[in-house]
Amino acid sequence: MQKSVVVDHLCRVEGHGGINVAIEDGKVAKVEMDIFEGARFLEALVVGRSYSEVPPILSRICAICSAVHTVVSLMAVEDAFDTELSAQTKLLRELLVQGGNIESHALHLFCLAFPDFLGCSSVFALAEDYPQEVKIGLGLKKLGNTIQETVGGRAVHPVNAVLGGFGKVPTKKRLLELKEELIKGLEGALVAVDSVASLEIPNFSECPTLYAALGSSSEEYSLFGDKVVFSNGESRKVNSYREICNETVVPHSHAKHSHFKGLPFMVGALARVMLYGHKLNSEAKKAKEKLGLSLFTENILLNNSAQAIEIVYSLERSIQIIDELAQRGIKNENPVKIKPKASQGTAAAEAPRGTLYHSYTFDKEGRVTKADVITPTAQNLANLEKDFRASAERLVDEPEGSLKAKLEMVARAYDPCISCSVH
Amino acid sequence: MTKPKVGVFGMTGCAGEQIVILNCEDELMDILKLLDIKSFHTAMSKNDEKCNLDIAFVEGAVVQPHEKMLLGEIRKRSRLLIALGTCAVWGGVAAMKNEVSRQRLKDIVYGSPGRIFRSIPAEALHSFVKVDFSISGCPIEKEQFLQAVASLVHGDIPVLPKYAVCTECKINENTCLLVEKGELCLGPITVAGCNARCLSYGMPCSGCRGPVEEANIASEVEILKEKGFTLEDINNQLRTFAGPAEAIQTHLAKR
Repeated sequence: MQKSVVVDHLCRVEGHGGINVAIEDGKVAKVEMDIFEGARFLEALVVGRSYSEVPPILSRICAICSAVHTVVSLMAVEDAFDTELSAQTKLLRELLVQGGNIESHALHLFCLAFPDFLGCSSVFALAEDYPQEVKIGLGLKKLGNTIQETVGGRAVHPVNAVLGGFGKVPTKKRLLELKEELIKGLEGALVAVDSVASLEIPNFSECPTLYAALGSSSEEYSLFGDKVVFSNGESRKVNSYREICNETVVPHSHAKHSHFKGLPFMVGALARVMLYGHKLNSEAKKAKEKLGLSLFTENILLNNSAQAIEIVYSLERSIQIIDELAQRGIKNENPVKIKPKASQGTAAAEAPRGTLYHSYTFDKEGRVTKADVITPTAQNLANLEKDFRASAERLVDEPEGSLKAKLEMVARAYDPCISCSVH
Repeated sequence: MTKPKVGVFGMTGCAGEQIVILNCEDELMDILKLLDIKSFHTAMSKNDEKCNLDIAFVEGAVVQPHEKMLLGEIRKRSRLLIALGTCAVWGGVAAMKNEVSRQRLKDIVYGSPGRIFRSIPAEALHSFVKVDFSISGCPIEKEQFLQAVASLVHGDIPVLPKYAVCTECKINENTCLLVEKGELCLGPITVAGCNARCLSYGMPCSGCRGPVEEANIASEVEILKEKGFTLEDINNQLRTFAGPAEAIQTHLAKR
């Protein structure tokens, strides 16, 4: 008996992709996440461009995660040219990245994933039955955008984060106002955690999973780090990212696949909470306990819960950053001057969906001779197909319609950013 | 009043315009009272793929053969087709090196296994279908989108500025980065609507909104050359966001 699940165009995700799963004689014969989003060849298009032109162009890889793309791109250029940044710049950049994390997670959780668990087709329909939850969700999303506007000058494709620093340093007054908004937002986030805790999360996709996330010797949970740590105990330095991802081209996807030592791996909020959840403090720690993520899990559907935890974390961390900035005294610094040379630079940070790498090679005038970007969604695709297989094997007797809905849920749980994955 | 039937579609890009729509957090529920959204893949399941639409908002550039067909189908079912964002209006960043063969680009990015992927030079929507109205920007400004929706539900065509970013910048009384600081600023030839956003952060205009009508590119290039920029750097910046625009192509063809 043959059965197939074909999703021509997966909805409620960013970008263009589909699902192809075939079952023959009760066995799963094919699992493909079909990524047909068009390639823009951005890595090839920046070749020949001067170093300062690269971050604003490569920010355009993605709208949702444009803040972290901008920051990692700036870091990679600065890594190449040995640029020393001020502590204030580092804190402001982190604040920008935390803002992006809040916005992206809130968008996914409330607008894209929640409808799956509550039997709706969209956030628009959800708003009729759950107006309070949607209001809180949109409020959190807006707050993430407010951080990005305050620090980055724009919610999508920041203009104020530049090489060596910031165009215009936000004022202390504005940052303290923002802090008050964040404190209020935190109350909403805790209500949102309760809403997530009330959802029934199925476990049909559970299967052995290797997690990876950036790590450091810091005792704090962080979106930054100098090495990538795997849940099997292995670790690699950021500049060995090629050994981590080992990208390959597959015919059914314009985004490349990644495997570490032949195994697919998962990056993103769930990977971070699994690897570093013990470093979470205060309300984020309580949220983790409430959502049952203190224990190791291999259920990707819990990535939604991990995102809820991280919304709390990112809000708390943002408040902390503002306190630290205010305490240090905010200075109107000019961006550090860049001195280009023939060199190579690599940087990474944890984007909402997982580890993001940018790596560039420059000639002596600082023009790009090679650029390489590996996005979290691309890294997750092989792991997603593994989860499709595990789910389909378990659900082999389900009617096609229900199997299709469940596979869509698995794909959505990764919060795929398909524009990012292809770029 | 019956609500206009609306579709929000994406060709290839960063989905920035759809994200800006979803970033209208305070207005989203009011927008739903005014529009009957039939198709919006990024935000909804159960989209109506066939019904006639009063308004189609389309973002992104066309970079694949199947997108030409999809765009044609959207055009056929829509009374008004509105191009949203610089990719849809001008081709955007994907179109900055359209003269380079796709085969070469595929080889750089994918190596030989990528040769099976189908790709065409990135083009704006108007290269393939009639576009009734355009809102540019990378990304679009939220306020321009909201104003456009307000006009459209009243049966009016929205009004957008026809002057340059330079004018907005002067109204804001910023120091001129081009004349006084000698920076590579495209404010004089870029269409307004962002309230000179980058310039108020002390950053020159990168031209992300595309050229203003009757842009005097020759004069801009002369000033930049006088300021010491090479033609290569000037041309690179000119083609970053709106390479296929006629005014820019005319300038590039001159050398």
